[in-house]
Amino acid sequence: MDASSPVVRTIVLLGPVNLIEFSFVLLGVSVLAGMLGSLLGLGGGFVIVPVLTLVFHLDIRLAIGTSITAVAATSSAGAARNVAESITNLRVATFLALATTIGAVTGALLSGVFDARFLFALFGTVLGISGVQMLRRKRPSRGRNDPVRTLTAPVPALQAARVDKSTAESTGRNGDLADRLALHSAYYDVAQGVEVPYVVAHTGLGLALMYLAGTVSGLLGIGSGVLKVPAMDLAMHIPMKVSTATSNLLIGLTASASAVVYFARGDIDPLIAGPVALGVLVGATQGSKILVGIRAERLRVLFVIALGVIAVQMLWKGIA
Amino acid sequence: MRAAVGRVLHAGVLASAVILLSGYLVSLVQDPAAFGSHAVEQAHLRARASFPHSLVAVWNGIGRGSGEAILVAGVLALILTPVAGLLTGAVAFARRRDWLFTAISATVLLVILGSILIGSLTP
Repeated sequence: MDASSPVVRTIVLLGPVNLIEFSFVLLGVSVLAGMLGSLLGLGGGFVIVPVLTLVFHLDIRLAIGTSITAVAATSSAGAARNVAESITNLRVATFLALATTIGAVTGALLSGVFDARFLFALFGTVLGISGVQMLRRKRPSRGRNDPVRTLTAPVPALQAARVDKSTAESTGRNGDLADRLALHSAYYDVAQGVEVPYVVAHTGLGLALMYLAGTVSGLLGIGSGVLKVPAMDLAMHIPMKVSTATSNLLIGLTASASAVVYFARGDIDPLIAGPVALGVLVGATQGSKILVGIRAERLRVLFVIALGVIAVQMLWKGIA
Repeated sequence: MRAAVGRVLHAGVLASAVILLSGYLVSLVQDPAAFGSHAVEQAHLRARASFPHSLVAVWNGIGRGSGEAILVAGVLALILTPVAGLLTGAVAFARRRDWLFTAISATVLLVILGSILIGSLTP
């Protein structure tokens, strides 16, 4: 924490601030960051690292350690609800965790080696790419709640699954691995009122992509659901709903693996990580309830612009 | 199995929150000067700071009733809640005699526990 930080100066102007009051400031800011993250569909990590470094002038490794703690907490709370709803594929999550956790440890170790400026530049770049992706994702679903997507998603997934089973049988290997691990499953689609079976494909490719996603997560302190969901949805042909729920569980395990490295290194300060993790958790899980009625689509454009500004600022800190 | 994993995750988050809050309370009672007077302590808010960050140090700190160690334990509980979920899954796989997935869960567990060692060995 830099004494010249504008926030610190503001707090000091308000009067003598002790650590308890400082914790409450962090808690409040984190609730907002969690709400913003869940509204954007990016998670809290993408918001909390820029807030802690740009606004509070925190060392970026300390900010990443704090963020990854918040990610583990938020994932646990979200997964606790998801898992019981039987959409999550526990076998897929457990198997892919082999790759994400090893990736996470790699990332956490790399972040200890890389220069802080490089971390800023990398964070800014990943943030910018995510912002562009969000804009592109927005276009196809013009509807308010995109029920069309939930209705149509299982059909191509099923078709893909059928095609893939035949190709897997002809080409062998990948299909074999998913068969031997018994990864295939089914989920109950509420919108259609039917049980939708699916066949998991390209397990090896999925594993490789998950290693990468884990590394990015451990390096930057983000959940990297942005990478995990496509790895399951696009590469492994797992239905979107199942991918999202399974990714949520996987994010927690991945965060744990890198968080213990940050913790053992002393990069997780309890007085910062405690209030921030609880704040992000509350903001992310309760945010959707509080923000009911807000036209998320309209706000999204504003947020994407804000995201772009933050990305440029992070990049600038890396270059300047 | 799903329900059990869900319950463990939920309980882990709640327990962590309780430990964190009691850590604040104990710190406040124990050392009101450190918590109540100074603005924002420079030393505290820097990387590789003075708080305990090894399992042994945290354990000993809790034994002494140190508020700071309790706070660290709360953060540690948050970090390790997903691991508790994994452990619950491993037990459920073992009960079903699904040895392949019991072994996979155990390997993931070893990776995470091993990374504590790796982390504490790196400067």
